[in-house]
Amino acid sequence: MVYEYRFVPVGEQALNVVFEATINAEENRLIHSLAHTLLKSIGKDGGITGIIPAYHTLTVNFDIFQTNYAELTKQITSIIEKHSFLENEGKKHVIEIPVCYDEEFGPDLDAVSKYGKTTFDELIRTHTEEPYLIYMMGFMPGFAYMGSVPSKIAMPRLRNPRAKVPAGSVAIAGKQTGMYPVEAPGGWRLIGRTPVKLYDYNHPEPRYFAGDYIRFKAISKKDFYYIQKLDLDGEYQLNELDQGEFF
Amino acid sequence: MKTVEILDGGLATTIQDLGRPNYQAEGIPVSGAVDNMAQRLANVLVDNEENAATLEFCMLGPKIRFYCTTFIAITGGESCPTLDGQQIFLNRVYRVETGSILMFKPLTSGRYGYVAVANGGFFTKPILNSRSTTVRLRLGGLKGRVLQRGDRLPLNECFKMPSYQFREFSTEKMLKNKKDVEIRVVKGPQWNNFTAVAQERFRENLYVISQQADRMGYRLSGTRLPVPDNNMLSEGTILGNIQITRDGLPIVLLTDRQTTGGYPVIATVVLADLRKLVQLDNKHQLRFKVVSFKEATAAFLAQRTELKKFKIFLNKQRYRYPIGPARKTAQKIEQLLVSKS
Repeated sequence: MVYEYRFVPVGEQALNVVFEATINAEENRLIHSLAHTLLKSIGKDGGITGIIPAYHTLTVNFDIFQTNYAELTKQITSIIEKHSFLENEGKKHVIEIPVCYDEEFGPDLDAVSKYGKTTFDELIRTHTEEPYLIYMMGFMPGFAYMGSVPSKIAMPRLRNPRAKVPAGSVAIAGKQTGMYPVEAPGGWRLIGRTPVKLYDYNHPEPRYFAGDYIRFKAISKKDFYYIQKLDLDGEYQLNELDQGEFF
Repeated sequence: MKTVEILDGGLATTIQDLGRPNYQAEGIPVSGAVDNMAQRLANVLVDNEENAATLEFCMLGPKIRFYCTTFIAITGGESCPTLDGQQIFLNRVYRVETGSILMFKPLTSGRYGYVAVANGGFFTKPILNSRSTTVRLRLGGLKGRVLQRGDRLPLNECFKMPSYQFREFSTEKMLKNKKDVEIRVVKGPQWNNFTAVAQERFRENLYVISQQADRMGYRLSGTRLPVPDNNMLSEGTILGNIQITRDGLPIVLLTDRQTTGGYPVIATVVLADLRKLVQLDNKHQLRFKVVSFKEATAAFLAQRTELKKFKIFLNKQRYRYPIGPARKTAQKIEQLLVSKS
């Protein structure tokens, strides 16, 4: 596996490692491995102050008083050339997120099933079948950009975004799927809702990370309210699935 | 622990330090002071770490009552502060006592001001290693919101301030009459996606900061640029990124920005010029000047070195006369000496 990459300076204290501009799971997993390796092998002591992995880029912020562009690009090149960061590729975390696909929670269920010429059941089965890779987190804490949704149901986003999308909404935008951790304006197609709290300002660290996989599990409305209560009481734990099931 | 009481919250007063840069991979914005040089200076003036939590206010400062003896410094925009009715200066340390009241007038220049208190700053509960407030996420600060009447903020009392008399920093005066302001930028990661016409127009345009200007970013108004028509994949954002939105106008991303963005970044404001930009009012026009990364880095290092030199200067004054309220007895002796001479 040889990937083309280049370095692009973004500011006095930031650079991008840029790979081929494509949404590709293998390439993206490489970026997450690279991110982990940079934090581990260079890290704060080596002057890295923050990183942002995205679809085909890794943004590296650094402290100019500790390192510089030339030094960092040399270090990163050597890490990539040695392929040593691939060692992190081992375990894949697959996290199960319960979703209630009900028209009350998913006002676009009807539109998406018409788009895909499927029944609701078929649509739900299609959306829950495979685990989705979290390519990146952005937009807001806990908002995971995931893919890829089977083409059949990959309906493009709304022309006019909704002013308010409720927290927990599970949505589709073309081949991407995602969840809204807090109420926000949004143009993605809403097909269901998770009862699980995806952002909590008292414990803002998300329950999943870029590079993890999410698998949706269809639940009833009754279970929705049951899990919601458990979760509010701090007694609900997300299921981590055995990766052997999928890979 | 002692407290201060907010008697009036002002317009949008929040607790800020230098933010939480280590959680961007999880989509959590950095936040922190918008004019981070002003916040650093305020802390240096009261002998704090530069990252100590300060009060950041916008356009109109708060009214505050102190319930302990401590030292304060005000920096940032021209906010005409008064302490117990007496006008005080910016960029200088002052002693306050129990019952002292600090208040402000609406800013006559600049947009953001800072209040630092000695002995470690404000001790609200940190979250993810920072006390900064991100209001739209209800994160950090005091209950994740702007401060309001009746709020109490914890702080340490403080009776001595080394080199008290020397804690004054002269900064360049805020722009008063100059019409156009030059803001230096470096080329952004998508600079080459723009046509030569767009690049040219970007350099020559005069922009004004629009009404849509907050801690997330400033939208500028001016002549529109032709926008590249190919869609790009979202990438990580950094402080000072200038995105060109679909309408051809720039947004400068600031401290509360989203961690990723899908608009092309034509340029990035150089760090040394950020404070000039964030404090600029909408009566002045600005023009971007593209400079090399080398020049940008040199300017940034120079700005930080200036602050560092001031710190070294302060340390050297510790034992120079007048010693000031560094030690209570020294202060008494000083008073005796002054009254005799």
